[in-house]
Amino acid sequence: MAFVSTRRQDLVRTAVLLCAGDEATAEDLVQTTLTRLYLSWARVRRADSPIAYARASLTNAFVDEMRRAHRRRESTLADPTVLLVREEGARAPDPDLQRLVLAALAELGPRQRAVVVLRHWHDLDTAETARILGCSVGTVKSQNARALARLRQVLGTVQQDLLVGLG
Amino acid sequence: MSDHDDLKRALGLAATGDRAMPAAGEDLARAREALRARTRRRYRTGLGGLVLAAAVGFGTVGVLADRPDTSDRVQLVAERFVAAPYTFDLTPKGWSVQAQNPYAVTIVPDDGSISTHPDDFVGKLVITFDENPLSGHSVEHDGRRIWISTSDDYTSMATRTRTGEPSGIVRIQYPQDTHWNEAAMLDFLASVHVGPAARHGHG
Repeated sequence: MAFVSTRRQDLVRTAVLLCAGDEATAEDLVQTTLTRLYLSWARVRRADSPIAYARASLTNAFVDEMRRAHRRRESTLADPTVLLVREEGARAPDPDLQRLVLAALAELGPRQRAVVVLRHWHDLDTAETARILGCSVGTVKSQNARALARLRQVLGTVQQDLLVGLG
Repeated sequence: MSDHDDLKRALGLAATGDRAMPAAGEDLARAREALRARTRRRYRTGLGGLVLAAAVGFGTVGVLADRPDTSDRVQLVAERFVAAPYTFDLTPKGWSVQAQNPYAVTIVPDDGSISTHPDDFVGKLVITFDENPLSGHSVEHDGRRIWISTSDDYTSMATRTRTGEPSGIVRIQYPQDTHWNEAAMLDFLASVHVGPAARHGHG
C-alpha cells in the first residue's frame, strides 16, 4: 500500500511517456503492472531497487501490449509541426509544448520510445536498458540513435528558448 | 546545456499532468482479486492433475498436486514434461513452458510477471542446445560434468549431451532473482533429454 501511495505517480508519468500521451492506455498499463508486482511481491521486495523493478515491469507490460495489439497511437496532432506554425513568433504555452513533445514521441516505434524513456528520462545506462528490454547493448545504442535523430527532426524547429525557458 | 538535459527536461514536461490519483485501495483490490483468481486457477489445475494421475494409475498424486507457493525457493517435482524436441524429468512448480523450438525452450513463472514475447529472455529460464565452448568452473553431478558461470543477472549451467543424444552442449540460463538454488539448477539441467530433432543454435 505504501509503495502504491508513493510510487504510483512515478509509474503513471513513465507510462504516459511510453504511451506518448495516451493516458487511458497508460493507466491500464500501470494497473496491470501494479497487479503483477503484487503477485510477485516477494521478488520485488528483495530487488535492490523496487521502483527500478517496477519500471522494468511497466516497460515489459508496455512492450507486450504494443506487440499484442499492433497498436499505433493516433497522434493528437496530425502533424506536430502544425503547432509550431500556429505558435510562430510567440512563446508557446506549456500545454502546447507538452503536446508537441508527446506527438514527437508518438512518431517513434514503441521500442525506440522505451529506449528514450529509460535512457533519457530515467537516466539508465545502455546495459541496464538492454537488460530491461531483453536486447543487446548494440541494439539499444542503434535504437537510441535513430530515436534521437527522429526527435531532432520533429522537434528541431522548436525555438531553443522554448526548451531552455522551461528550466 | 546538453542535448540529454534538454531532452530530459522536455520529457519531464511531457510527463507532467493534472491527473486524479485513484485511491491505493482500488489498486490493492484489483491485485487481491488477481491473486484469488490465480489461486483458484492453480487449485483447478491441481485437481485436474489429481484426476489425470488417478486415471492413469500414477501413485505420486501428492507430489503432482499444484498448490500456491508458500515459500520462495523453486521446488522441483518428479513429473516429466515434454517441450519437443526436449524432455525434462523434473518440473519446476509454478513455472510453465512459454516457447519451444528445435533450438531452445523458454520457461517462465506462472505469476504473469515476465514478458510474453518469445525473443525477450529477461526473467526466463532459457534452455539452449549448441556447440559453443564450455566455460566457468565445473562440478560433478550424477556422473556428469557441469560447467557453471555466473554474472550479475544470470547463472549459466552447461553439460554435454548424453550418449545416444545429438552431440552438443545443453545449457540453461537461470535468472538470478528467481530463487533457484544451485542444487535445483544442477538437478534440473541434469533432467534434460535432447531429442533427435534438436538443432544447434548459434551465438
